[in-house]
Amino acid sequence: MRPRQEIIEIFSTFLVFDADRLQGWVTDPRLRRSIERSLTQLSESERSEAFLELYWYKAWQTQGSHLAQSHLAADLQEPCYWAAFKATRCFESVEYSFSDCFQVAIASLEKVLQGFDSKRNISLKGFANLKFRSVIKDTLRQRWITDICTPWALLHKLSKKRLIESLQNAGLASDKIQQYVLAWTCFNTLYAPNETLRRTRTTRKMVKPEQETWEAIATLYNQYRHTQLSATAPLVSSSDLEKWLTACATAARQYLYPSSTSINAPKRGQDEGELLDDLPDNVEPALTAMIGEEEALATNQVNAVLLDAIKQLEPSLQQLLQLYYVQGLSQQQIAKQLQVQQYTISRQLTKIKRSLQQYLIQWSQETLHISPNLDVLESISTMLEEWLKVHYGQK
Amino acid sequence: MTQSPFFIEIEPTEIYLEIPPETQARQQTRRFSTAGRSSYAYLNQLCLDVFLKWLRQAYPQAKPWIPSAHYPSVWEVVNGSAITLVGHTADPRHAIRLVLIPSAALDISELCVPQEWVDLPSWAGDYYLAAQIELDEGWLRIWGFTTHKRLKQLGEYDAGDRTYSMDANALIKDMDVLWDAQQLCPDEPTRASLQPLPALPLPQAENLIARLGNPEVLMPQIEVPFTLWGALLENAGWRQRLYQRRLGLPEQWSVPQWLSNGVSELAQQLGWSQVTFQTDLAGARGTELSQSPVSILSRQLIIAGQSYELRVIPEGELQTRIWRFELIKSATDLAPTASQAARIPRAMKLRLLTEGLQPFENNEATATTSVERLYVVVALEPGEGLIWEVEPVPDNYEREILRF
Repeated sequence: MRPRQEIIEIFSTFLVFDADRLQGWVTDPRLRRSIERSLTQLSESERSEAFLELYWYKAWQTQGSHLAQSHLAADLQEPCYWAAFKATRCFESVEYSFSDCFQVAIASLEKVLQGFDSKRNISLKGFANLKFRSVIKDTLRQRWITDICTPWALLHKLSKKRLIESLQNAGLASDKIQQYVLAWTCFNTLYAPNETLRRTRTTRKMVKPEQETWEAIATLYNQYRHTQLSATAPLVSSSDLEKWLTACATAARQYLYPSSTSINAPKRGQDEGELLDDLPDNVEPALTAMIGEEEALATNQVNAVLLDAIKQLEPSLQQLLQLYYVQGLSQQQIAKQLQVQQYTISRQLTKIKRSLQQYLIQWSQETLHISPNLDVLESISTMLEEWLKVHYGQK
Repeated sequence: MTQSPFFIEIEPTEIYLEIPPETQARQQTRRFSTAGRSSYAYLNQLCLDVFLKWLRQAYPQAKPWIPSAHYPSVWEVVNGSAITLVGHTADPRHAIRLVLIPSAALDISELCVPQEWVDLPSWAGDYYLAAQIELDEGWLRIWGFTTHKRLKQLGEYDAGDRTYSMDANALIKDMDVLWDAQQLCPDEPTRASLQPLPALPLPQAENLIARLGNPEVLMPQIEVPFTLWGALLENAGWRQRLYQRRLGLPEQWSVPQWLSNGVSELAQQLGWSQVTFQTDLAGARGTELSQSPVSILSRQLIIAGQSYELRVIPEGELQTRIWRFELIKSATDLAPTASQAARIPRAMKLRLLTEGLQPFENNEATATTSVERLYVVVALEPGEGLIWEVEPVPDNYEREILRF
């Protein structure tokens, strides 16, 4: 992949795939016109990527602007690409394709933007990189389990929030969603993995409820429908409920497979939508430099402090940092390479994180005279995680 | 066990705990009204056991908020459990409550806390921990936490199922932040202020227990207004009665039955036993009956690290319904005989309350100087319930209604 250099490109082009092959960058003419227009209105110093990134983020946050979101989607193509790249390397035993992983990541854009905190995170790109990686990992894991779960087991493995999101994703109206959620609550009250399944670690094999249970679920639903839904909520039968709950399970499954989202579907332009290049997808170290540039001034100091702290670690721990954060190996891969158990690796990583964290807390107290409170301690933890996983790795 | 190929990469910020197969295979001994409640209770028990065991490696003094034997009455109606931690900071009296909310969901999109853990003043915690349990792979992880204050400020309240939920983005992911905050800023408020619920009169409580105690009421937690429901639950004795009623269990707290048929299993778990009492009664009671042994009830208490014994003694014939509650210091190994036994320290109190927590005349005895024993004698109506309290509060104390 050819990393983008020009600001106009960065905020208006998207990666496109043909099956699993990366085709290259494609311009969305509408975004291109928008960014060109914006640039003419900005001062020289404002015409930077970092500035525009925050600018569009603010536009998205404060006005919910779709245009801003599209610019950010374009802007975050590289972190998305690298997150997908890392995932396919870490989970090589599994057959999920690169474009699949990319799709999962970019579909989570809105959540990533919601989670970003410009005061706490070092940069949007760094934060997105982190989030995209965890979204891919989580989604692949959830897909894998979902595939071996019966629909009835799956219903037990959803949070209420996830169920609602899945139903929204399936295009259901809000009153219908409320009905489904009540049906799901009634189902969970009356039907659950039994003791044998729990004790033998086979809850994923939960079978379909007996007719008698369906009847009981329907009775419960009908009993609460007026107080929980509305005075006019209709009576439902046990077979309706069975259909609804099956639909819930299906929606939850589909939610893990985002279809080619509109986010990453630039309108292939009449005049400007030509393919910009045709490079094969291999690692481009040139990208790292781009991310480094976005760091805020305050974090430059943190950077020095942390690099200094790392130098004081034992050489074996420094090596572990290299393998995990710089080379991006998984804990399992490192364990294999060093011929130790994975939990040893994870304990050592925790130990490293802990000592850097304490170093930073002390530094912030002594040098910056910040008195610690929950908020400060959380910020330090958040910043450290992002720094280790993204910025340190790209030094 | 089916391990996914995406074996969780333990983030350095998370607490990841394996569930020993023998812990997971342990039979559930208590019953619940529905399959769903039973499944929740199982997750809660597992989560509490595994997390507490881990926590005690660093803080051996960590303990369940209420005695384990009382938890089923909570889990029958509410998801979650709590742990009390005292003396983990420089101030030996500094105490916090951690509320543990388990979920078997695959996704970690939110922390969903039942309103009871947030709005009941006697239940509310300082910190709320989100636990994800993967039964088929035998592990659990604590993936985030928040404070009571943040949950009240930022949590979304759902009036339908009466829960506060917090988006994953708004949770603190790193448990070390909790321990650091406890060390570095232990005085920063973690709780939002709460209004006490209006007291629930006994007849109303009786009505609620009768109505919600019907196991066909499958979602009792959303059946009546929260203030009524909450006041009922805050009285641990009523919560016990509700549980008993929903499960169709016989009365577990009948003192006359304990004397005639033996102490119920639940009460035994909480430290009650029947003993035959034949020491120097003559002095204490001044009657000839002291010649024959009398069966009494006894409960061991630990107060400020010392052992005490609470005794419930029928005065005269059972039919007269006069009962004596007596608190004495247990004989220690160093002072094995009664004469050498240490005395009850000054200011210790023994108090009896009605089951609706109301005081009555002569319901309390206070040690104005160190004394051998504290006692209160009461005459009761058939079926009347009483709650005992001791000050300072004994370890693992939870109110219980003794039925006479």
